[in-house]
Formats: sequence, C-alpha cells, structure tokens
Amino acid sequence: MSNDPRSDTDIAVVSTAYLPAVRREHITETEMLIAVVDEALGKVGLKRSDVGFSCQGSCDYISGGTFSFVPNLDAMGAWPPIHESHVEMDGAWAMYEAFVRMKHGDVEIAVALGSGKSSTGDPAEIYPLELDPYYLAPLGPDPVSLAALQARQLIDSGKTTERELAEIAARSRRDAANNPKQQVRSAETDVDKILAEPYVRTPLRKSDLPPISDGASVVVLATRRRALDLVARPAWIAGIDHRSEVHNPALRDLTDSASTRTAAERAGGIAGVEVAELMAPFTSQEVVLRRALGLGDDVLVNPSGGALTGNPLMATGLVRVAEAAEQILAHGRNRTLAHATSGPLLQQNLVCILEGDN
Amino acid sequence: MSTQTSSTIQFPYKRTLGPVISRFFSELTAQRIVGIRSGDRVIVPPMEYDPETGEELAREFVEVGPAGTVVSWTWVAEPGKHHPLDRPFAYALIKLDGADTNLLHVLDAGSEDAVSTGMRVAPRWRDEPVGRIDDIVAFVPGETAEGPAAGEAQDVQTMDFFSTITYTDVLSPTAERYAASMRAGVLKGQRCPQCNRVFLGRGYCSVDAIILGEEHEEALPDFGVVSNYTIVTPTPYPGQKETEPFARASVVLDGDEMVIAQQQIIGIPVSEIRVGMRVKAQWFPEAERDAAEITSKGWGTVAGFIEGWLHTGEPDEPAEQYLNRVF
Repeated sequence: MSNDPRSDTDIAVVSTAYLPAVRREHITETEMLIAVVDEALGKVGLKRSDVGFSCQGSCDYISGGTFSFVPNLDAMGAWPPIHESHVEMDGAWAMYEAFVRMKHGDVEIAVALGSGKSSTGDPAEIYPLELDPYYLAPLGPDPVSLAALQARQLIDSGKTTERELAEIAARSRRDAANNPKQQVRSAETDVDKILAEPYVRTPLRKSDLPPISDGASVVVLATRRRALDLVARPAWIAGIDHRSEVHNPALRDLTDSASTRTAAERAGGIAGVEVAELMAPFTSQEVVLRRALGLGDDVLVNPSGGALTGNPLMATGLVRVAEAAEQILAHGRNRTLAHATSGPLLQQNLVCILEGDN
Repeated sequence: MSTQTSSTIQFPYKRTLGPVISRFFSELTAQRIVGIRSGDRVIVPPMEYDPETGEELAREFVEVGPAGTVVSWTWVAEPGKHHPLDRPFAYALIKLDGADTNLLHVLDAGSEDAVSTGMRVAPRWRDEPVGRIDDIVAFVPGETAEGPAAGEAQDVQTMDFFSTITYTDVLSPTAERYAASMRAGVLKGQRCPQCNRVFLGRGYCSVDAIILGEEHEEALPDFGVVSNYTIVTPTPYPGQKETEPFARASVVLDGDEMVIAQQQIIGIPVSEIRVGMRVKAQWFPEAERDAAEITSKGWGTVAGFIEGWLHTGEPDEPAEQYLNRVF
C-alpha cells in the first residue's frame, strides 16, 4: 500500500441502511431506527458496543412529541452510558457532527442517524413555524406555495421551463421504479401527459412535489485504522461543508444557491464527480442546485430517484449520503457528491464529497 | 385496523420585536412602509443585520411604496384553514417602489387571470391596525392603497402569535396490544431475553436495543414499593391544573421488575410518603379507562388506566435497597 493516499485519521463511510419511504409507518420511530442500525452494523459485522459515538437527526415539530430523541436513543442501546449527541436537523448534519467528533482522534467508529414521521402532521400547518415568525409565519405560506414562487422566478428568468421540470419528474420516477425504497414508483413518466396535468400551485404540478413520507436512515463511519478491515473499498469523506444564507427567502436570489456553491468548493470541488445525489424535494430545486454546483450533463443526478420520489424529512439528506456512498461501496464509482438541505427554499446546504481508492 | 391517535399542540406566543421590527410595525399602524438602508440598498422588510454580511445596520429607515411590482407569484385556488384569506388568492414576491429586495405577501386579485409578473399592486390596509405584518390585509391590483384614513402611529413593542398543530398517528402493534391489556386491568410488560429486564408497552429493550414482540410479553403484578418521590409546589402556568402541593413517585413493581415513574400516591397526605412504602394500583373503573395517553411516541404509560397507588398497610421495605431503582 505504498501509494495509499490516506492517513490513519481519514474517515470513510463503510456501511449504510435506510428504510423504504412510506406514506405511513406503523411502528414507532425508535423501532424504525433499531431496524436500520441493525442492518447497517450487521453488514460490516459490528456490534453497538463497537460504536464510539452516535449522533441523531430528528425534529420534534415533525414527530409531534417533546424530546422525541430521548426514546429514539434507545435504538443505540444507551446503557451502560454511551457518547452520543442529537441535532434538530436532517441526519446529514448529524453525520457532519459525527465526522467532526471523530477528528478529535479518540473515536474509531461512529454512527449517524436520521428519522422522521411526516405522516403525523399537515406540512401546511408545521412549515410556517420554521419561517420568520414576524414577517412570514402570520401570512401562513405553505411549502408548496414557497416553492412555486421560486419556480416561477426560474422560468421567468429563462433558467428553466415547465417542460424541463416535467422531464426531471419523469426521470426521477423512472429511476424510482428501479429502487424499491422509493415511495413514488408507478407514477406517470410521459412528459406530455405530465404537462397536461393540473397545477397544484402555478407553475408547479403534483409531479414537481415530493410525497409525504416516513422513514429512517443510518450511515456508519470509520477511521482508516478500522475502515480497511471492514470493507474492501471504503467511501472516503474527501470533504464535507455546510453553509447557510438569510432565513427570509424573499431577501435572497431564489434562482441561485450561493451557499451550496461555497459548501461544494470548501468540500473539495466537483471536478471528477460521476454521480450527484441532490436533496431537491421540488423539481425546480434540482435546477437551482445543478446550476449552482456547475454540474455538467456527464454527471449522473439522483439515480436513486431522489427526494422527489421519497422524502422522509430528517432522514432524506442522510439517504443522499448513503446513496452517494453506495455508488463507491457497491458500484465501483470513484468520486461522488451528496447534498442535503435545510430551511425554507434551500436556505442551508451541506455538500459531502466521497472518494474510492483503486 | 390500527387505532388512530390525535393530539393538538398550541403555542400562544407573545414576541418582543426589538428596535427594527418594532419600528416597521409601528409605521404600519400609520399606513407607512419603511425599509432600512444597507450600503446602496434599501432592505424591506427591515432587518437588524445585513442579510449577506451579517453586519449590524445603522438604523436609517427609508419610507418605500406603498405601491410596488410583482416579481413572482403563485395562485392558491383552494385556500386552507391556515391561509390568510378564505377565497382564492395569490402569494407574491413584491418589490415595493424604492426597495431593493422583495416582500413576500398576499395578493387579493379576484382571479388568476388578473395576476401576472410585472403587474402593479398597492396595499389594502386593515380597518383597525394592531402592528403586525397583516395590517396589510393583502395587496390589490393598481397604484392606489385601499382602507380607512390613516391614523397616528402606535408604539408597537410586542406581537401576539398563536399557532396550533394537530398530529394524527397510529398505535404501533405493541402499543395496540398494551392498550387492550390495560383496558382489561392487566399490566403487561415485555421481557428482554438478553438482560431479563421488563418494559411496559415498549416494543424493544432500551438497554440491548432488541425488538420485543408478543412472544416476550407477560402479565406483571400491580403492586410494589415506592423507590423515590418528590413533592411539587405548583406554580401557575397555562395547562397547570394542580393548586396544592402534590407528590410524584416512582414505583418498583413486585419482584423487582419495572420502575413506573411519575406516579401519584393517593389516600395519604404527601408528607407521609416515604421510600420503601408498599403500594397497590388503584385502577379506574373499567368504563372510565382511557387510552388517549398511549401513543407511538415515547414509552408505555399507565395514565388513563391507573388513578394512583394506595398504601397497602404492610410494613415498609428497607429504603436502602432502592437506591439504584429511583427511576
């Protein structure tokens, strides 16, 4: 291994698991997490007692219970006491914290988790609470209306067309048909027929919107000292970064995502990226992200079907990381990109660049 | 067929506004819209900080509008209960005259055909302003503001905001079986095959993270020993029903099985409660047992089935043996 470019403290994704996104999951969030932790650790022969640190991502407003992360921690088996943390964000940010925690040098194996049951609430009720409480929440703008304002600006500025949005929907649905973990797997894929469907909020149709989903996801991280014993070809985290913009989307250029661009640059840039898993729950947001990242037509976008066809909030972003990592772990790719977003209309964005060695 | 559960959470906020939003809302009560200067730009609605650099802004306010131009819009054909108007309307991004940023607001235009990017709009003012963003009820097509004659500006320092969310969930298979057992007056637990601990209405072992199913279930005694307690002197807050000091105790079920926390000890003054005291469950009459507190969030609960715990009159157990069973 004389030409091994990695050092002992480099960190890789060595295993992933996520539940199929479904409209309503009947087991509890904790039970969902136990299932994915079992699967992800089992794939690489690890036990919970091997895990030095875990971090969960979930949101009490979505699950509808205070401190819902406390019972969720049972999924890791919290006795005798363990080192753990929680972020009130998508699991992709839990992975960011786990990555930073591992950089301290005393943790070899870490687990990041994301979980959410969006089925329990009405997004039009819950989402205004994440908006500016003075200027926006009292006006009650629902997430689809906000996405529609962004989409129209993209169309009016010539950056996309309704046909291109329909093509993104059709491609995502075709890919989802091949991924049993996606929720929207048998919807219309003929672009002309999609364009004949009515608007939900002009200029967006149902095909431009994500489903309401329940789900959970996990990634297992290991330092080089352990990763090479666990898998033949780890998905090395070459860079990871997240950036935020002003919370009030009306004050931003909604046709661009400066924070995504900055995060990608700081994570190492997109040169050589073969596959990008972008968390774009609306078709129009895929357009924004592709342009902001400068992805060419040679980059395969969202072969999993993407957030557009399965959107378990608080797990969706970490699913993108899992899918980008599996492109290296299982499909032999060399360099992939995962993106996750948080906040209204792409307010905050995380980019993770993953690499496989030959 | 699963049992559906429903709960509503309400947040009655009174928010302080700070110097900048306070000024904006105060001006609204006199039918004026102000932005704040940031370098060459005028930001509307005003912020305390530059949205791009984070620099605190000098409080130089600039009157803008009231008319403006629609930059983007979407049509809400079927308004829901959380929308501001009960008839079809548009959400719009509006660039007010003199502003360099967009304001998100409501556009009451009658029909979708009447809305277009680039159209001119002006505010319709609320009859009796209160100093909130919806003192502008909506924007309307045209150059001319609508509403009553403008009055004096009020000094607006706070804002009331009431939000409510209703959640619906289904009981997990474990919670479903647990609720049925509790209705029948039987405490049922799940025993972990690995550590031998017992849990109430929980589909997994919290220590070993093992899924526990029907095959792990067994009936538990409904009597035991107080292992810990606290006496709470209530202070008034929304939702507080207690007025007198009350106790919350942990009860270890007999056989050293399971600690049930947050229990009421009934039938004796709170000053007589002690660790080691033997107690027995006082079940609600069968017709009054209520599964509303059983949800698929958190852990199993006896609330709605067991009213409290009565002293059995038997001699106390030595308190020292419950030191590690407090919760």
